[in-house]
Amino acid sequence: MSILVACAFVFGAGLFVVLSRRDVIGVLIGLELMLGGANVLLVALATVSGQDASTTQSLGLMVLVMAAAEAAVGLALLIAAFKRTGRSQVDEFGEVTG
Amino acid sequence: MSSTIAFWAVIVLLTSGALGVVLSREAMRLTLSFGVFLLGVAASFLYFGLAFLAVAQLFVYVGGVLILVLFALMMVRRGDGDKLLMEVRWDWAAAVTASAVTVLIVTVLAPEFTTTVPAPGAADSGAMASVLLEHYLPAFEIAGALLLVAVLAVLVIVGRGDER
Repeated sequence: MSILVACAFVFGAGLFVVLSRRDVIGVLIGLELMLGGANVLLVALATVSGQDASTTQSLGLMVLVMAAAEAAVGLALLIAAFKRTGRSQVDEFGEVTG
Repeated sequence: MSSTIAFWAVIVLLTSGALGVVLSREAMRLTLSFGVFLLGVAASFLYFGLAFLAVAQLFVYVGGVLILVLFALMMVRRGDGDKLLMEVRWDWAAAVTASAVTVLIVTVLAPEFTTTVPAPGAADSGAMASVLLEHYLPAFEIAGALLLVAVLAVLVIVGRGDER
């Protein structure tokens, strides 16, 4: 139960950071908090419900891969925005809206 | 007894890292708090007996993503030697939304977690290899392709940006 509360708290903290920060790095780290909290919760849920440990580990590895890819693309977007405008705020991405 | 202490140490690492990210105004402290959180994630995997996942977490995140974030911070930092301060807005709508989602997660999943401290587990990494390469081979291949696409996307995004 305590791991559930901790992971939900981490996910909520990440969501708050994503919604309230204006710096791209802050938003990215908030997203990583959400993914990390969800991954730990996934592993904990699989463990307490008696799933096979190898399957649990494989599932966690897939989430890890997706989160790493997301971080790489996010940081590339940050560097591209900084090269174009000299700032690192999320407002710089406003021009890509349809 | 020792497993209970280890479990609560994991909880402290996870929550203190997340709290540090929320409260930090200075970019380097924010990144260090994020590092504490990542260590907490690796420690939680280790607690559940998933040693391979814990090592992968350390290599990929603490050794890779965290260093990339530090490089990005150094790049966007102004050259006058000042600390890179980030704007922290106490947005009440964001706080209410995050709290509501937190309560929702706890409410929905609470019946699944019957004990306060779950028992530590143990996993065989060799068995994981056979699971990945036999039962979940398509997912494994798709994950590899996703990483390749991400690398190409990074090259395209960074390569064609206009200089200011």
